[in-house]
Amino acid sequence: MPVTNPVANSSFHCFRRSGLSVPFALMVATATLLPAPAQADSDAPTPDFSGLGSVEPPLPEVLTTTRLRQPKSRVPGTTTIIEGDLIRDLGVMNLVEVFRLVPGMTVAEVGSNNPVTSYHGTVHYEQRRLQIQVDGRTSYRASLSDTDWHTMPVPLELIERIEVSRGPNSAAHGINAFLGTINIITRSPDDTAGVQLGAASGSRGYLRAFGSVGEASAPYSWRLAYEKRQSDGFDKQIDGGEFYPFNDGHNINTFSYDGIARLSDQISLDLRGGVVDGINEEDLRKNGKLGATDNPDIMVDDYYLQTRLNVTTSTNHFFHFQVSFQNYQRRQRWPICISGPQIDSLLEGNPPDFDFEPGDCSAGDDPAPLIADLNEDIEESRLEFEIQDTLYFNPNLKLVSGLGYRRDTFRSETFFNGRGNNYQSRAFGNVEYSPFQWLTLNAGGNWETTTTTDEGYFSPRVAANFIINNNQAIRFVYSEAVRTPDAFEQTPDWSYRPRNVQAPYKFLEGVRFRVEDLVDPTTSTFGIDLDEERIISREISYFGQFYMDSALLSLELRYFNDQLRDMISGVINEVDWFIANNVGLDQEGFEMETSVDYAGTKLRATYAYLDQNGWYTGDPDALDAGDQDYVVELLGRLSVRHSGSFSWIQQLPFDLTSAATFYWADEFRRAQFERADFRIARRIYAPKYSYELAVTMQHYLNRDQDLSPDNIISDHNQFFVEAGVRF
Amino acid sequence: MPFGARFCLVIWAFLALCPSVFAQEAPQTVAYLAGSERNSALTSHMMNLLTDALGDDAEIRRFQPGQTSQSDGSVIITLGPEAFTLVRQESRTAPILALLVDEPFIAGYAERSAGDIGAVLYNSPLIRQAMAGKVILPHATRVAMLATPESVELYEALTPRLPELGMEGRVFIVSDNDDLIPALVRALEYGDFLLAATDSTIYNPRTIKHILLTTYRRSRIVIGPSQAYVKAGSLASTYVPLRTTAESAAQQLAVFHQTGRFPPPVYPDEFQLEINDQVARSLNIPLPPREELRATIASRLSNSTEGAHE
Repeated sequence: MPVTNPVANSSFHCFRRSGLSVPFALMVATATLLPAPAQADSDAPTPDFSGLGSVEPPLPEVLTTTRLRQPKSRVPGTTTIIEGDLIRDLGVMNLVEVFRLVPGMTVAEVGSNNPVTSYHGTVHYEQRRLQIQVDGRTSYRASLSDTDWHTMPVPLELIERIEVSRGPNSAAHGINAFLGTINIITRSPDDTAGVQLGAASGSRGYLRAFGSVGEASAPYSWRLAYEKRQSDGFDKQIDGGEFYPFNDGHNINTFSYDGIARLSDQISLDLRGGVVDGINEEDLRKNGKLGATDNPDIMVDDYYLQTRLNVTTSTNHFFHFQVSFQNYQRRQRWPICISGPQIDSLLEGNPPDFDFEPGDCSAGDDPAPLIADLNEDIEESRLEFEIQDTLYFNPNLKLVSGLGYRRDTFRSETFFNGRGNNYQSRAFGNVEYSPFQWLTLNAGGNWETTTTTDEGYFSPRVAANFIINNNQAIRFVYSEAVRTPDAFEQTPDWSYRPRNVQAPYKFLEGVRFRVEDLVDPTTSTFGIDLDEERIISREISYFGQFYMDSALLSLELRYFNDQLRDMISGVINEVDWFIANNVGLDQEGFEMETSVDYAGTKLRATYAYLDQNGWYTGDPDALDAGDQDYVVELLGRLSVRHSGSFSWIQQLPFDLTSAATFYWADEFRRAQFERADFRIARRIYAPKYSYELAVTMQHYLNRDQDLSPDNIISDHNQFFVEAGVRF
Repeated sequence: MPFGARFCLVIWAFLALCPSVFAQEAPQTVAYLAGSERNSALTSHMMNLLTDALGDDAEIRRFQPGQTSQSDGSVIITLGPEAFTLVRQESRTAPILALLVDEPFIAGYAERSAGDIGAVLYNSPLIRQAMAGKVILPHATRVAMLATPESVELYEALTPRLPELGMEGRVFIVSDNDDLIPALVRALEYGDFLLAATDSTIYNPRTIKHILLTTYRRSRIVIGPSQAYVKAGSLASTYVPLRTTAESAAQQLAVFHQTGRFPPPVYPDEFQLEINDQVARSLNIPLPPREELRATIASRLSNSTEGAHE
């Protein structure tokens, strides 16, 4: 091999040509022979990706700050995140039951098996103090503001995750985010290409079938999904010491279409639409009104349309513009039979006698009764616009701001004597500033006007997060929020018009019987304006994550101290109407959420302690002492002092996975809720498809009904089988 | 006579009288470096690193087209597959030490021209990447991998070794483009993390956006295949620093000069760890300092290898 000494020669030539001094030439020569300052090689790596450009293709920076979620350590408040996989692994059978996993949340059933959930309790009927969003779409009802969980168009299989912001969140989501916010995020059609089928069947007529098909490609991804939910409800009810069958099942079908069109690298368009159709059974004995002779079942016919334009102008700036329209239609009609003397007495202007019992009245009675049909049909729609802009001035200073507009329309001959509208406009913003690595400050607020009270409200929130080693944070949060009365509370025009009236009362066809005239006049507040409810909340919370040998421990603690004022409580039905801003509540407590991930084992536990004290603040002469206590007690129907859950998911040999979960709430109005769920599943991964078979048992440890004595489950062991395939 | 001229004369005299001194310190061999015209900065950088690693034992010169016909058997060091292919096309007999190539690319050449083709692999061995995933997610028990029918053998050697790390693995086959997302979704259901090999049929600029976003939305992470992918959004990847590559290349050259043959392609033992801290924070994954993680990976790999040998 040829051996030369070109280095010495070349150096020398250089020296000769340049005429520089030898020491300087030697320095130059030495410098050129030394390695260049390492860019990709230093012991403390400073990557130089461009250096490998010739051997690796240039890649887009996919997960830029615009796509990343805010880490828990910097969030201005405690948030529980329930992953869709956890929901499925635990064998949760209904969407609403997911919230048993959230510290401080309670779940129960009211009326004819209508689910209700809340954070920090308050009322059980018409629970309306949470903001609930599905993919950014407000999902509580427009007129009554409560939530119909049976008909929520969210199949369990399509849940990506559910984020629950615990504590007032009006600063971000506007009025109604009074106690907290539930944000349900479904899977992107980008992530569900292929075919998925599933079915589950079990006790009390439980049946759920799911199917989805979709494609994912660069210009357009789409998914079409269908879900059937069916249940017979509770086994029986009790009335007067006797048991009766309970007509409280449901049979709901949902169809949804989701698409994403990528118009360019910076612009994409989300398209969503869905239809919900089915029947929600209501029991005659439980919910029959005004002499009902048959079950007043509710026919459901909903649909929604939603589109969202996402624009990313740079890695530091992006915004979206969203429009959604939702229509809820409920048709609830039932026949009535009111005895001749009763109706005649009413027509003569006497106080009504509402003591109806099934079987008291029939068409052949003498004298002839009033035979007719009544309805509580209602159609509600919501048109919603939102624009939200996110700007990163630098990694330590971020601004989220936006505008929103909503029109709630309700049409009901019975509840509103026609049609009504409410309009809401809002502007919101939040600044996140991290002056030091150990400190993140958040300041935000929401200004909103609503025609329900014709006033404007500002809901602020400030938070300071002290961050320790990136893996721990202590938060101090102060927030204020309001809830304005909903349309039915504020502007009812409630009446019943008999239809299909039979002789001899045909003259009553379409005649309006106003509830205002029927309710007890001594306590009635019908037509009196209500003011907004207010809450001031203070939170101190801690979030930490630790490596423990071969495990990862996560712990979140929250202490809260809330003052709720001008709370609206009372009764609204066709017999009594007394609601007012008449209760004050002070509540404090603490909550814990922790999880440990070992190899093959996941443990998760939650606990919540709530100390809630309420007192009557209304007009002392408006209600007697008993009713004053009652309206205070109503605001604690879903509030429990102790509640929590414990879950254990274990991977086993032979592709088996077991899950055991214990839920408890101590205690509701009548008893504590205690249930243990056990699930064993086998998931097989074949080269081109995977399938899962599972069996779940729900064991009710406490056989007493928690909230309503009618919610009777005969067998304290409930069984479910599931099968699913994906390819 | 000015001082400068006198000094120059002294130097000349010294050189004339003591040639043997310089002959002993002069490089004994010459190797040619073929880099990429598109990235001359990288070529210059590697030139410096190789010169530094080789010391006075060899000289590195830039490769010129047609060099192989004049080099009398000098080793040609190539940077990347493109440079390797160009040199190889020029001469099928010239000894080549390939740098910045991955195993799938060079394995066939190294096998067919055993001894004449050496390589220092730039990609990380999969067992090391899997260990990185295990150290970052200590509770991980399942590793998901994506491959085409043609690239599935990339993972063949890894899967039986995963139990050494307390894990098991499964490869999900992607038959065609339409199959990528369904296979990915099933893989993410199975695995605690997705392990990515250097497999351009699966991981390339066209697919990586979709893969990373879907994985992120499922709160899963991708480990590998390289530094560039970590910048794109993969959580972490081990990699071989260029300086280590240069030092390993010097060792390969030394072996070649002693035996006339290159050993089989090697993975350097020394490595570094690249992490996307933003992604880790966003997924609420707490991470110890990078160097601590790297040391843990190295230590556990060492223990695992020792255990396997026992």
